[in-house]
Amino acid sequence: MATTRTLFDQELAELKSGVIRMGSMVEQAIAESMRALVDRNNALAKEVIARDQEVNELHRQLRERAFMIMATQQPVARDLRLIVSFQHMVLELERMGDHAVGIARAALRLNDLPQLKPYIDLPRMAEITESQVHEILGAVIEADQDRARAIAERDDDVDVLYHKIWDELVGFMVQDPANVQRAAILLFLAKDLERIADRVTNIAEDVVFLHTGRIVELS
Amino acid sequence: MMTWANMQADVAAPTTHEAEIEIKLDARHVNFFYGDFQALQDASLAVQARKITALIGPSGCGKTTFLRIFNRMHDLTPGTRATGEVLLDGHNVLSPDIDVINLRRQVGMLFQRANPFPKSIYDNVAYGPHILGWSKQQISEIVEESLKDTGLWEEVKDRLQRSALNLSGGQQQRLCLARALAVKPEVILMDEPASALDPIATLRIEELMQELKKRYTIVIVTHNMQQSARVSDFTAFMLMNERRAGEVIEFGPTDDIFNRPKDSRTEDYITGRFG
Repeated sequence: MATTRTLFDQELAELKSGVIRMGSMVEQAIAESMRALVDRNNALAKEVIARDQEVNELHRQLRERAFMIMATQQPVARDLRLIVSFQHMVLELERMGDHAVGIARAALRLNDLPQLKPYIDLPRMAEITESQVHEILGAVIEADQDRARAIAERDDDVDVLYHKIWDELVGFMVQDPANVQRAAILLFLAKDLERIADRVTNIAEDVVFLHTGRIVELS
Repeated sequence: MMTWANMQADVAAPTTHEAEIEIKLDARHVNFFYGDFQALQDASLAVQARKITALIGPSGCGKTTFLRIFNRMHDLTPGTRATGEVLLDGHNVLSPDIDVINLRRQVGMLFQRANPFPKSIYDNVAYGPHILGWSKQQISEIVEESLKDTGLWEEVKDRLQRSALNLSGGQQQRLCLARALAVKPEVILMDEPASALDPIATLRIEELMQELKKRYTIVIVTHNMQQSARVSDFTAFMLMNERRAGEVIEFGPTDDIFNRPKDSRTEDYITGRFG
């Protein structure tokens, strides 16, 4: 059957392209915010914070575009699922960008203080989270629900590391009140990473919804 | 590889408990011919009582033909022939010994364009009951009841003797519906009843349908897919096959047809990629 909605298909393709671009920006922000911490690079942390405005602006534009398509094209079935999912995905990505800003701000505060401990588990946690973000964007591009489900399952690995880091940092606090400030900042930072992984799971649920039309809980 | 373009919903529709289902009209393997030309092939459809069932599909797919078989309107066209069964409460309406006049009382019809008689508003509604020999008192009561049921009473009660042709298009269509209701039908067939109406009049008809389905079984043919999605409980998608005969491609709850169609042809049609 011939395609008869060329303009509509083009609008959907542009929307999808915008979602992927936003995802790439957020992926970069997460990676650089962690590098700012590990390398004690304040300039990089400030860049991440400043660039979040671009993510927010793109988020606004994509929401407007999705709304315009819904208002003018009256999508149904897979088209409607696609637009609704993209709307939700960009919201999740915008929040991930905020978490990257949280990490960058934490890095700025920690970089001016003596390092509490060598960073081992936090970079491991960040590595898994970053790869989840990267791969979920691939699953979105390829509309691959099996891959999305597999990516969501790795949230458990992030949670295990998060709890390990939590226990360790609480131990530092109990050990010496002088550690409390740095440990608390690191706890918030770990929480940001953990939330990013949760949001990846939410996007994975959107990919499944796109296929099935059913809203699932993957966590 | 799966892509956004070819992706299909792959989850089965939720099931309904069979005990809750009452089938009012059951079309089984219906074929229809205009002379040698087959317009409908092996069409089956189980229409639930007190639900709205919509027939959608591109022009020429046999929707209206199928609808008109349900009350034997095709008898009025010479050279036509229907095979198969259409059971109304278990009785085959295609049987030659069926009382067609009584059938059309049981299964009323509303057409694309309002077609009031060139008579007064009152006489339009009273026409059917009068033919059936009801008393003046009964007729007077049923006229008021039918006009109330269609939301027209308050608008016309002071001018019942005026010509129906002076009413607006939307009012004329509701008058025709009142005329159909006046003979106490069980099923109402609607052939694009709002296609000639403005959006406000269309919404009034749609709201009316929601009220009427509490008491009547409604089958509607519509080209307006949003209308089908808005008003119907069940939707059948029809399409011409390679021999240009209409077929039922997919039938199910409207929610499933518009959100998770199983057949790629249904998906292509409802998303506007058919042509």
